[in-house]
Amino acid sequence: MDSLYLLIPVALVIVALAIRLLLWAIDNGQYDDLDKEAWRILQQDRQDNPDDGEDRAP
Amino acid sequence: MAEAAAARLPTACYHCGEAIPPGVSLVVDIAGVAQPMCCPGCQAVAAMITGSGLQDFYRSRSAYSERPDAATGEIADEFTIYDDPQLAASFCRQLEDGSSEAHLLLGGITCAACTWLIEHALLQLPGVQLAEVNLQQGRLDLRFDSTAIRLSELFSRLQALGYQPQPWQDSARRQLRQREYRADLRRLGVAGFGMMQVGMFAIALHAGALQGIETGYQGLLRWVSLLVASFVVYYAGGIFFRSAWRHLRAGALVMDLPVALAIGLAWLASAWATLSGGGEVYFDSIVMFTFFLLLGRFAEARLRQRHSPDWAEAEACLPSAVSVLREGEWQSIGRLRLQPGDRLRVKAGQVVAADARVLQGHSAVREESINGEYLPRPVGPGDEVFAGSINVEGVIEIEVLATGADSRLAALRRTTTGAVASKPRLAKLADRIAGGFVAAILLLTSATALYWWQVEPGRALWVSLSVLVIACPCALALATPAALAAAVGGLRRRGILVCGEQAIETLPRCSHLLFDKTGTLTEGRLSIARIQVIGDGNENDILELATALQQWSNHPIAEAFAGRSPEGRNCEWAKQVVGAGMQGSIGGASYRMGSEAFCREWCQQLPPPPGEALYWIALCSRERALGWIGLRDSLRAEAAEVIAAARASGLQLALLTGDSSPAAAELAGRLGIEVAGCGVSAADKLQVVQRIQALGGVVAMVGDGLNDAPVLAAADVSFAVAGAADYTRAQADIVLAARLDGLADCWRSARRCRNIIRQNLLWALGYNLLAIPLAAAGLVPPWAAALGMSASSLLVVMNSLRLYRPGKAS
Repeated sequence: MDSLYLLIPVALVIVALAIRLLLWAIDNGQYDDLDKEAWRILQQDRQDNPDDGEDRAP
Repeated sequence: MAEAAAARLPTACYHCGEAIPPGVSLVVDIAGVAQPMCCPGCQAVAAMITGSGLQDFYRSRSAYSERPDAATGEIADEFTIYDDPQLAASFCRQLEDGSSEAHLLLGGITCAACTWLIEHALLQLPGVQLAEVNLQQGRLDLRFDSTAIRLSELFSRLQALGYQPQPWQDSARRQLRQREYRADLRRLGVAGFGMMQVGMFAIALHAGALQGIETGYQGLLRWVSLLVASFVVYYAGGIFFRSAWRHLRAGALVMDLPVALAIGLAWLASAWATLSGGGEVYFDSIVMFTFFLLLGRFAEARLRQRHSPDWAEAEACLPSAVSVLREGEWQSIGRLRLQPGDRLRVKAGQVVAADARVLQGHSAVREESINGEYLPRPVGPGDEVFAGSINVEGVIEIEVLATGADSRLAALRRTTTGAVASKPRLAKLADRIAGGFVAAILLLTSATALYWWQVEPGRALWVSLSVLVIACPCALALATPAALAAAVGGLRRRGILVCGEQAIETLPRCSHLLFDKTGTLTEGRLSIARIQVIGDGNENDILELATALQQWSNHPIAEAFAGRSPEGRNCEWAKQVVGAGMQGSIGGASYRMGSEAFCREWCQQLPPPPGEALYWIALCSRERALGWIGLRDSLRAEAAEVIAAARASGLQLALLTGDSSPAAAELAGRLGIEVAGCGVSAADKLQVVQRIQALGGVVAMVGDGLNDAPVLAAADVSFAVAGAADYTRAQADIVLAARLDGLADCWRSARRCRNIIRQNLLWALGYNLLAIPLAAAGLVPPWAAALGMSASSLLVVMNSLRLYRPGKAS
């Protein structure tokens, strides 16, 4: 159980990195348009399969 | 959704969803089906879209497109001004690899499918390397090779697709909003990560409390929780402390105060427990509380932001570039660099960029945006013209008197925003009530703390914290704004722009519906009502001659003849005589058509116009008078239906107009509504409205929102019916896009909104009243209080979101 003394600080460092990455992504403008991205992923699929796009099960 | 709507209305335009006027039979073949179109503008846009192989757009869109201006589809040469490097520099940037980057603001984006259409249509053009639309802001980011394609071609392409492009101006407000949005997201993200971490440690601690845990490990877990929670409270929760403190200093009790107190006290006590090694820690409750509060606020702010009319700036309608005389040459410069004293040249069809005096040339200007008059006013040297008016007939040279903020257009806009802002707002009342509520919570919490201090000091802190969190009126505070924001968003999707949210709240209480001018009930477009033949001619001859002549005219009168055929009569030449009419030659004979005085110059025996209340124009040849043509502003197709619906819902209707001609009374008679005033001045209108209000009536008023704004501002709810061009400039609580049907939609939506607000308030109040005694009795641990409070807020937001969907037609 002594490994906790090492693992928990390591976890904290990883969280700090993740937060850093998130803040970078936000400042980089990657989350500026939440409306479009949610929709675009569906559209891309349809674009690749123009013939059967409409009938495919979601 | 758009398709479903089209199926219900077989006569709706496939592109914009508007009703197809009788006699129009335009179709475009889309994916193998001939789809009906309402106007050549829509037809051109739809043909353009399918022609580019992008018909998929119609399948995936979730809202109708905006109806394009009639001129769309032709390559508009007004965009060539953007090829001027100096002007382009204001919104373009040269990149190191030689390509250019430009930011444009697009009008007319109605749904996510539009972004797909725009991006794909632009990427088909040679030289375009990147095209990305930001749906939230209506912004287009472009990267292109300026040697392969010109900016004007990109602008033309966008217009051909039915969108209105203009250079993106980075205004302070927009930047501020962008910064706030990102800051909100950063706080939310940090709180979210923090919540997951602290939650994980909390599970271990809770399990340890049940099964037993070594003090060393407990200490470790508490210490790391303290570390993470402190960061979350500082970074994400700081906004609550700052806001509470700022308001407290100003002497106001706001909702952030109990929030800040709860977070602050819980953190202090938990930190103390960690340091001293005794007592309990509630770090998980603290971060969870922070996260869910931020989430509720973020959701509400986003909903509100998504549909705010960002680009509705008065100057958006003015041209970006003007032709000005500098150092003896005509140069094209940006409008912003204009100065009083500059000499400008304005061609026919262009918008006057500044308040100015005419130096040279004769023409007529349409001043709809200044005074709502759609017939042009003739101007000559010495006359003043105003920014925002449209030069209709000939080239004029003008000397600038005032620009930008000094112009009459800007002044008009200022007075209206002032009038709108000075309305007593329910929001202020809500703030006062919230203040009382917060005071009550603080008292209640203190009383609870005092009681438990006497009975069981060890639990006093935690019980009072629970009360503080449970009683926090977050759901109560969100109940009304969230519902309003959702209703506004829902209406926006149907082309109705709501500027004053409070209007939605007031609408169901309205007792009177006044129409401010006849123009709101009519098309604002002349049509032929009657033809009076003089002598032995016949009606067809007169119509054919008139049609042939008017084909050469760009005066609004010509619209009445559009769509008719001159049946082989060919006008060899014609000229427009400014302020008088048309003169031309057909089949070798000369004709005049226009005002009485103009035709009387040729034939003195022209009889005076018939007595009917119509707009009469004369037609004569050099030898004799041929006839009078009576024009009338035709009634909107949907007017009768809307009036019937309004009457059915118990509203008192009246027409209040500045028009003194009998046409107004005749119009009211046709619709069966009362005439409350005819030929009344703006001040009189104001009095009528105030008199009704003094008797306890709640007045909704429909106007055009451009020049009648003071009267509209006096009404409890104001509607503006505005055409596409004026859509974003009109000043009113609610702007309807060119159609009256929206009125009924607004009422329906407002009633649903009222019901939802009631449900929300009932839930929030009921929850608080039920849970507070439980918490005060010490039955609710802080983590449950935090969860319950957050769930209650989220429930209220979700309930409000139902308004976002179109309602069942009732």
